[in-house]
Amino acid sequence: MTRRVRVVPAPASLMPGDRSIVVAPDDPAEVVVEPFGDGRAVVHGPDGTDRWAYLGSANRLPDGRSVVEVVVDGWRFELELEDDHRATLRERATRARDASASTGPLEVRAAIPGRVAAVTVTHGDEIEAGATLLVVEAMKMQNELRAPRAGRVERVAIGAGETIEVGDVLVVIA
Amino acid sequence: MTSTAPASLRKDARGQAPPFRRILVANRGEIAVRIIRACHELGVEAVAVFSDADAMADHVRTADEAVRVGPAPAQESYLRIDAMVEAAARTGAEAIHPGYGFLAERAEFARAVEEAGLVFIGPRSETIAALGDKLAARRGAANAGVPIVPGTLEPAAVDRPDDAAAIVAEAERIGFPLLVKAAAGGGGRGMRRVTTVEELPAALAAGSAEARSAFGDGSVYLEREIRPARHVEVQLIGDADGRVIALGERDCSLQRRHQKLVEESPAPGLDGEQRRALHAAAIRAAEAAGLVNAATVEFLLDPDGRFWFLEVNTRLQVEHGVTELVSGVDIVREQLWIAAGRALSREIVEAAGRAANPSRHAIEVRLSAEDPAREFVPSPGRIGRWAMPAGPGVRVDTGVGAGDRVPPDYDPLIAKLMVVDVDRRAAIARLARALDETVVTGIQTTLPFHRFVARHPRFAAGDLSIDWVEEEWTPAVERDRARALQAASWAAASAPVAGRERAADPAGQARPGSAWTSEGRARAVDRWPR
Repeated sequence: MTRRVRVVPAPASLMPGDRSIVVAPDDPAEVVVEPFGDGRAVVHGPDGTDRWAYLGSANRLPDGRSVVEVVVDGWRFELELEDDHRATLRERATRARDASASTGPLEVRAAIPGRVAAVTVTHGDEIEAGATLLVVEAMKMQNELRAPRAGRVERVAIGAGETIEVGDVLVVIA
Repeated sequence: MTSTAPASLRKDARGQAPPFRRILVANRGEIAVRIIRACHELGVEAVAVFSDADAMADHVRTADEAVRVGPAPAQESYLRIDAMVEAAARTGAEAIHPGYGFLAERAEFARAVEEAGLVFIGPRSETIAALGDKLAARRGAANAGVPIVPGTLEPAAVDRPDDAAAIVAEAERIGFPLLVKAAAGGGGRGMRRVTTVEELPAALAAGSAEARSAFGDGSVYLEREIRPARHVEVQLIGDADGRVIALGERDCSLQRRHQKLVEESPAPGLDGEQRRALHAAAIRAAEAAGLVNAATVEFLLDPDGRFWFLEVNTRLQVEHGVTELVSGVDIVREQLWIAAGRALSREIVEAAGRAANPSRHAIEVRLSAEDPAREFVPSPGRIGRWAMPAGPGVRVDTGVGAGDRVPPDYDPLIAKLMVVDVDRRAAIARLARALDETVVTGIQTTLPFHRFVARHPRFAAGDLSIDWVEEEWTPAVERDRARALQAASWAAASAPVAGRERAADPAGQARPGSAWTSEGRARAVDRWPR
């Protein structure tokens, strides 16, 4: 049986427009990935291009998926890998759960590390989608963090002057 | 820690005593390392400073001694004038080199160094103060007969409504669109673009407020927006005898939010006569301000080939290396000699004589911890793999390496990749080759952007503009990234992961039973001569 792998950018790498792709690595296909040891490989694409890929160590997630860092042409991706058959089963389960919980509280997390320069909302504020929640200063630049949807501020988890890391919960919107 | 240079070696190639016994480098990262290198070549001991974020950094390891100046935030460490002067006094340093950024253009820092009886390696504090006021610099340049960007020469009366009519008349004389700029400004802060007279009052108020909070000075002025335009600047060095020479110009048009991304020297498309006129104008502007040591005069070049004075930077520039590669002059070494009171060297005067007819071409790209797919937002973190280019005509200035953490507290620049060759076409080919050798993992860098530039026909044609990045990269970035993502997905899916192999297995090991294809190996054999 041919193994099929579903690949999708992990949340840290995901951009609008990115889709998961399903790859059958054992297929005789026009794509050839040629290993060069130590995580290096050349990807011979169907269009005749050769690109170097640099792979990091794979980290296994508790749910069985793997996350691996891959850098190609200077672009860095964290990719989630999952057996395609398994992915289909898991998604079915997730959809069922989401259907009952789509109005739950939303945790806004840090996408970049830095220092909180200002917090512009407080507990209980009613906010519109796109409202500025706080300003993060990273590398001399001020980055405004905006509300992904409207709602009421249920919790402000950080204060001005604090240092934050990627993934830290900053604000919870109910 | 002790000096790496024995006393017998503390002299330069001519056998002279070094310019100083020991200096303090009041900076971090690649520029601190670059200055320390110049010190060691001259037999000068270098004292580094560091914040808690940099205790293990390259510049600390390279220096002869290092002094902690505070916690990670720059305000509490690298921006502390008292800590710098104190560190110099404590370690017996005779002079302080400020590098660029941080305190480099703070006149009060230069003054504090001078008052402590130490030598500030850069222009005099009065010169820094005079040229740091953009309006004073404009007046000085205009008086020296240098064409300045059309606009006002005095601060706009932001707070006096009775003068509104006067400022409107002034704006109409200059023409729209125009820019409101901060007199104490820099980096685009306090700047507002105004397209109609109705927008003017609000832009003046907002620009002034931003300037006051950023620089403690709300003075703003008006300047015509010259667009399209190229950014061209002239490298100057002056000595205490009042002699100022130009070491050639640089084109730094490829910018994003007033941050330069690519710089080259000479500026493409100029003839010898234009170069001589440009260099002479820059020298006039600097002489009027009594320049000693290194500075750069920035101009805008309009499509008709006219130059307009913008401002003077009274410090070593990030991009000084391209001028060094073309001229053969070590600018930092020259800075140290001039600070020690020596006149301009014969080598630099001769190099200046050749500056209008350069025989080489150099290009620098700034590799930064920024994500070029997300409008160049900072992407600090820990570096994994780190492979920098080498080989003929390549220079890399950096202060980080594999396993180092790029802290979120400072400028995201992590390496300057420079190439030099006989002409621009060869230099671009060399740049493309060097970028192919460059690998950084662990953090996103601006490498994809630089690869794009090095292969772009419009760049090859020398068709540069400060709008280049917006016009070329912004529409292309999504596709560029998507192609890489496709290849990355194929590579990841072929690696021995996804539920079959052990977790945390080094992904690229080709072992029996792994998912790497045998066709790949067969093709690898075919690709090489047997």
